[in-house]
Parts: sequence; structure tokens; C-alpha cells
Amino acid sequence: MNSVSVRLLLPAVVAAVSLVSGCSTYGVRNPSGSGVKVLQPEEAGTVAGTGIESQDLVAVSDKMARGIVGLDRIKSAGTPPNVVLLPVENETRFAINKDLFNTRIRAQLNQKAAGKVNFLARERLQALQKERELKQQGALTGGTVPGNAGFAGADYMLTGKLSSLTTKSSKGVSDYVLYTFQLIDVQSSSILWEDFAEIKKQGQDDAAYR
Amino acid sequence: MGLALALSMAGCATGSGNAAARDAVLQKYRAAAAAMHSAHFDQAKPLLDDVLMTLDGLTAGDRSARKARGTFHEESSKNFRGEPYERVMAYYYRGILYWLDGQPDNARACFKNAQLQDADAENHQYQSDYVTLDFLEGLAAAKLGGDGQDALKRARTHARMGVPAEIDSQANVLVFFEMGTGPRKYAGGEHGEQLRFSPGASRADRVRLKLGGQSAEVRAWDDLSWQATTRGGRVMDHILKNKAVFKDATDTFGNAALISGGALAIVGSGRHGPADEIGVGLLAAGVLSKLISAAVTPQADTRQWDNLPNLLGFAGLRAAPGQHQLTVEFLDPAGRVTLTRDATFTIVPGGADTVVFFSDHP
Repeated sequence: MNSVSVRLLLPAVVAAVSLVSGCSTYGVRNPSGSGVKVLQPEEAGTVAGTGIESQDLVAVSDKMARGIVGLDRIKSAGTPPNVVLLPVENETRFAINKDLFNTRIRAQLNQKAAGKVNFLARERLQALQKERELKQQGALTGGTVPGNAGFAGADYMLTGKLSSLTTKSSKGVSDYVLYTFQLIDVQSSSILWEDFAEIKKQGQDDAAYR
Repeated sequence: MGLALALSMAGCATGSGNAAARDAVLQKYRAAAAAMHSAHFDQAKPLLDDVLMTLDGLTAGDRSARKARGTFHEESSKNFRGEPYERVMAYYYRGILYWLDGQPDNARACFKNAQLQDADAENHQYQSDYVTLDFLEGLAAAKLGGDGQDALKRARTHARMGVPAEIDSQANVLVFFEMGTGPRKYAGGEHGEQLRFSPGASRADRVRLKLGGQSAEVRAWDDLSWQATTRGGRVMDHILKNKAVFKDATDTFGNAALISGGALAIVGSGRHGPADEIGVGLLAAGVLSKLISAAVTPQADTRQWDNLPNLLGFAGLRAAPGQHQLTVEFLDPAGRVTLTRDATFTIVPGGADTVVFFSDHP
């Protein structure tokens, strides 16, 4: 091939390659999508979706545990109050293991305020009842044989609710989740303490999935 | 050099990739539906959980998606997630299973999420318009002590087939039924760049439920074929259209270059002059352009969840404690029985809702 042919061929190749590169996504805004951003609070990290994730669980349960530990009625109680954990209500669009929140709050409180709060294992009531009956019948030996008194009653109930607001369009998805927790006085039904946390996330799928 | 470049591009376009990973979600979709149809709910659960873990994540930065957008790769080179109606069904099935496990709040979360999959339909009129999902969200809310009236209102607004009755929070037998075979995808357009759907079909469009002395006829509420065809255009359709235009342009240029180059080469044949040389150059450019055109892959992704039903419906019944037999007769529009199925269950006082799932899938 002589120099004239090369001069003609090269521009043709360059033109073709230029055309090839990127023309298929012409006119599509942000074809690669945008990564998920945790707008608040400050927890960062690699997140895969806009749903409830481990960093949210940690941030929320930490905040709630701190709030409960700081309560005067907890700090200054002569006898540690008995607390029962009620299941968290999930009103969000995310199917989750709700027990995770209460479990972590309980663990945090036991760690930070050991001896200040007693948690009652109501979720194990059936097994506890059976053990107690077997001991009373003499079928099991060892340990303290329980009397006729029932299990301890609760002074407070801790419960929470997860609510959310979602927006979705071709521009992406945005999820706002509001976490509210309450400590309720069983005697008076008054709400002794309440706190909330809110997290908003947004992101956009790759254009290939839009 | 040009030929090598073009061949290299063509090779990229047809690279095998990791087909198993690309179709992992699709395989789980199919297996989960098969498990639902055969009432192997424990098998369906982990499959759907795996799938929803994928669907819950965003795809920003997904390498397979970036590849699928490329000029020389087919759309089907991306990891399969399905079109909105397919994703809806994954959440819907999981919602049923959560309810079966006595978790109506997580079931409601799934129904909400399912409805959200349909939220970006091009025409606002068809966004999040599944009657069954709205009704179930309302029913779950009512059972959990909330108010399901807003959701019921939405369900009735969207109703095109059967219209939901009032929410009965005391209904303790929840009957989910589905019938027919769902829509089918195919590629339209000159280069197969348009994703199209052929409607599914169903002999039955309603059921007759017989429980003790009760008998009720309930029409299906949702039509997946309708849902598939009212989604409207996708962003990916725009990309595929651009690929098709590029394919045509390079082909046309190749033709023009070959013809012109051939003509010049003939005219200047044997003279070794400029016309001869330009002719050869144009011929080479034409061949290159044709090769590039051949390597462009604008075909739409027609992989599909192919064991979905066409129609969905729901009914809530009340049953006293004790053992019961529920008979479901699938009826065609003329009222003829097309299939009969039975389920036996025991209602425990104060127990969780009894969830039964019926399909006329063979």
C-alpha cells in the first residue's frame, strides 16, 4: 500500500473509531447512574441500596440507647426498672428483621448501663414457663425451685416504629426513613421518653436498567 | 490494521462472558415460581430472598450494565433483573410468603416495594397501578391497626377488571390466586432494537371459592400483559435506537464507499494515478465500515421470566376455628369450570392468618 492510500485509510479508521466510541449513549443523561449518597447523618461507606442497612441500624440504636441511659428516672432509680421490648412496627417498604433494632438497643444498654435496667425475656416466656413447671413438679433438679409467684412484671415498655417516604422516577429513587422509639410507663401509660432518627438516601440505577 | 480493529470489535461483541452470573436472577425467578406453583414455599423463600437482595441494590457502577450500553455488546450482556412487571412479581411472591409466616408488616413492605417497581412508567396514568398490591397494602395496614382506606381507594381507582370489596380486617383466610401464562417478550424493529411484548393468555378470568357453606365468585384484579405493555419506553430503548442508527449509518457509509471506491478503481485501473489510489482507499474504508456495522449489536434483551401467570387475584374469607376444606374453581368468562383445586387447613383460635395460594399453572 503506498503513502496516498495510507493517508486516506487512516482518517477513515480514526473517523470510524470516533463514531464508535460513545455514540450509543448520546442524549442519555448520566448513563452510568450515580452512586448512593447517605445524606444524613454522617455515616458513610459503600452502600448498595437506599434501604435500611447496617450503618443505619448502628446509628439509630446507638442514639436510642444513649437517650435511654441519660434518663433521670433510669439513672436515679433505687431499684433497676424492668423493661419489656415490644416488636418494632415496620411501616416502610423494606422487609427487615425488626428484632435487630431492639436487640442492639438492649445490648447497648446492658453494656453502657449495666445494672441500671433489667430486661425481661418475654419472647422466651413459653420456654421459661415450661422450665418453671418442670422444676415445681420435681422433674428437674438443681437451681432454685421457684415458688408460686409469677414472672416479674414490666415497669416500662420499649417500642419503636419505622416509617418511610419514597419517591421514584426515571431520575432515580429517594427514600426517607423515620425511626421513632418510645419508653412507655406501664402503670400510667404515659410516654416517659421518645426520640427519633431520620435518614434519607437517594441513588440512580444505570441507564441499562432504566 | 483496520480489519484487525474491526474483527477485534466484533469479537468483543460476541464474547461469551459469564452467562451464569448474567442469568442468575432469571434462573432464581423461574425456580421460585415453579416452587410457588407446586406449593414448595420453603424452596421459594430463599430463592426470592436472594433475588430481592439483588433488586434492592442500585446498579450504579455495574460493569455488566456499562458493557450492555456499549455499541458492540448486546443488551443481554447485562446481569438480568427483569422488566418492572417481572420485578413486581418477585416482591409479590415474597410478600405472600411473609404473610404465610405471620409477618404481615414485612408482607406489606414487599407489596409497597412491588408497587414501586412500576413507578417509573412513561405515562403517569399507568404508574404503580396494581390493584392487588394496593389492596393488600391496605389489608395489611388494617390488620396491623392502621387505616387501609387510602390504599383501598387507590386500588379501586386503578381497577380495570374485578373491583375490590371493602377491606375486612377480620378475614383470616387469605386466598391468593393466579391464572394463565404471562406476556412474552420479543424484539421488534429492523435490527431487533425494540423490546416488545405479546400478550399472555388465560382461559379463566375468575374463581369460585367454596368454604364450608360460603361460596363467592371473585374476578382477577390484575393483568400482567397490561402491565408489561403500559410501561412505555425505557432509557435503554433510546440507547438501542442510537446503536441501530449507528449500525445503519456505518452500513450506508460502507456501501457508498465500496461503490465509489470500486468505480474509481475501475476508472483508474492500470494507470497508477490518484483516482486508482483513492479508489483503493475508499474500498478499504468501505470494508472497514461494513465490518463495524456488522459488529454493532442493537438487539433488545428478550430474556424473560417465562413461567409467570397472566392474571392475579385475591380474596379474604372468614373461617371459624377448626379444620376446613377450601375448593377453588377456576372459571372462564362464560362461567365454565376450567380447573378445580382444593386445600385443607386448620384454623387455630387466635392464630395467624391462613394463607393459601392457588395457580392453574400445570
